Amino acid sequence: MNGRPDILEVRDLYKYFPISAGVFSRHIGDVKAVDGIDFSIRQGETLGLVGESGSGKTTAGRVVLRLLPATKGQVIFDGHDVHTLGPGDLRRLRREMQIIFQDPYASLNPRMSIGAIIGEPLRIHGLARGKDVDARVQDLLRRVGLQPYHANRYPHEFSGGQRQRIGIARALAVDPKFIVADEPVSALDVSIQAQVINLMQDLQAQFGLTYLFIAHDLSVVRHISTRVAVMYVGKIVEIADRDDLYDNPLHPYTQALLSAIPIPDRAVEIRRKRIILTGDIPSPVNPPSGCRFHTRCPVAFDRCKVEVPPLQTYAPGHVAACHWVEEHGGNAPDLTAVPAAVA
Amino acid sequence: MSLLEVKNLAVGFKTDDGFVSAINGLSYSVERGSTLGIVGESGSGKSVSALTIMRLVPIPPGRIDGGSIVFRDQNLLTKSEAEMRRIRGKDIAMIFQDPMTSLNPVLTVGAQISEAVRLHLHLNKRDALAKTIDMLRLVRIPLPEKRVREYPHQLSGGMRQRVMIAMALSCDPDVLIADEPTTALDVTIQAQILDLMNEMQERLGSAIVLITHDLGVVAETCRNVLVMYAGNLIEYGTTDQIFSAPKHPYTMGLLESLPRLDDREHSRLVPIEGQPPNLLRLPAGCSFAPRCKYRMPICDTPTPLYDFSNGHVARCFLYDERTAGERRLTTESAPQIPGTATGALTAPSEPAVAV
Repeated sequence: MNGRPDILEVRDLYKYFPISAGVFSRHIGDVKAVDGIDFSIRQGETLGLVGESGSGKTTAGRVVLRLLPATKGQVIFDGHDVHTLGPGDLRRLRREMQIIFQDPYASLNPRMSIGAIIGEPLRIHGLARGKDVDARVQDLLRRVGLQPYHANRYPHEFSGGQRQRIGIARALAVDPKFIVADEPVSALDVSIQAQVINLMQDLQAQFGLTYLFIAHDLSVVRHISTRVAVMYVGKIVEIADRDDLYDNPLHPYTQALLSAIPIPDRAVEIRRKRIILTGDIPSPVNPPSGCRFHTRCPVAFDRCKVEVPPLQTYAPGHVAACHWVEEHGGNAPDLTAVPAAVA
Repeated sequence: MSLLEVKNLAVGFKTDDGFVSAINGLSYSVERGSTLGIVGESGSGKSVSALTIMRLVPIPPGRIDGGSIVFRDQNLLTKSEAEMRRIRGKDIAMIFQDPMTSLNPVLTVGAQISEAVRLHLHLNKRDALAKTIDMLRLVRIPLPEKRVREYPHQLSGGMRQRVMIAMALSCDPDVLIADEPTTALDVTIQAQILDLMNEMQERLGSAIVLITHDLGVVAETCRNVLVMYAGNLIEYGTTDQIFSAPKHPYTMGLLESLPRLDDREHSRLVPIEGQPPNLLRLPAGCSFAPRCKYRMPICDTPTPLYDFSNGHVARCFLYDERTAGERRLTTESAPQIPGTATGALTAPSEPAVAV
């Protein structure tokens, strides 16, 4: 995987949503949803982007696709800066980059037949006309595990898992290279999740797709991702290959997040020591100074309150942003040895 | 004697498309001080079963078609609304999934907790306030004297759920029903709330019925597990039994289909094929049969519970002596069949379950 070129590079990306108040809509602050992030995705890999609510992971996905304008920073896709392209070039680029949404109920127009939903991108991009559209729609339906006759039906006739398959077929219609999948399985029942995850992996192998897989469920992310990036209140705190991240998490937040996931195995659960963080996730309107995690971090010290830790490389492909790790020669703190943090 | 016993419960809803049977003959019981996890997917009837215990199912469109819910020797289904109001919140309390919509936005959290305390424990205003502050402190809300005067919107999601727990436990209930109490919360906050619930249970000794779709949450908090599918119990056992030796193909399928955080193999997931059943048209036999890889002709007839003589029961014909030969023909990788399976111990109308 290391030999493959980057298909996407995000450089120092910011997205602030202004907050205004009063009769004159005075600008009184910003929601700092994405507050300076850098990462890259290699051709054909899946980068998992995990974080809790308010971490900015969904906003990051939208800004990468330019569904939202960036406040600052660059997104380089295949050599083009996505945020400076003119309308014509942007439309051509949209064929290459697609999105799958979280909510399969809200993301399909209830008044359009499935055939019209999947055929629309084909017509817009002039990829097919007349009978060719129908043939292509039927082929796409088959590829996502539905039947050709489903083209004449409407979204309400389908279950959540089937609707998510329709959303995937629509994204595939224009033959994209890169797909942002924003929580694609979190609205689905457990027994259906595995069907959709397998489908996404099959399509990736078949079409050589690259995924940015955004999710809060770390078990799903570990399963599907090549590498994983962890976000906390607008910043990336750690990026590593999946097994490296799960086996040797460096950042205290990553450790706590992993430890918080209940494992459906009684024997494992009994042996495990859990790290329980105190306090709530800070608001991105008024994020803490210095390291955003210092208010909840069991090993925070004075420097963490004033100085923003940069991402630093501690092992090949493994970066983390933590003063404690830096000052301890790249070793991770043992949070289970901090009495206040263990339950 | 069980503290709470649900027997043969049947509940349904009238809809424009026809009658939806949400619960079909569900039976289980809850012992004093125990923790029971009820797991199931959407539409399995797990929430409706809890709402029926509290008599909170709106009638109509809801309809209770039979069965009984016996709590301390009294059938809750025959109680008047006034009698139920004395039980709700005092003897049986409930925590809901979404702490934002289940708290009143125009009342302070203090007013909402002390309302229950004054009504059920007959305390005066000042004692009720003192009790409220004690409860907030107990659920580890910082600065309880200040928080008691705040409104729900001033609190974060995790704090609101702590308020809900404080309110539910304020009258020292015998049974606490928690319906997806952590589903709306982030994982690090979920860990805090589960930890708090475990601690509260050890301290106050209430029985907890935890309703969830998350098998991980169950493994962490519950001693016993009841698995529901299409409105009925399909498997029941201790948490160890369910997780290490599941008997019902649905339970086995669920555990196989989950990606696990501690999995290094990244082997392909094994999904349960097909779609959840349509509650408007449930099959006559096992409702999981259309998706089951062990399906046999006999599965189209009503399925009894089979008892494995250690409290573990499953509703599946794989454990019937009559199907043993057929089973070997159907599949090589059939689940391990214990030699002790005693065949049909009870008819479906006679619950084999004791919690």
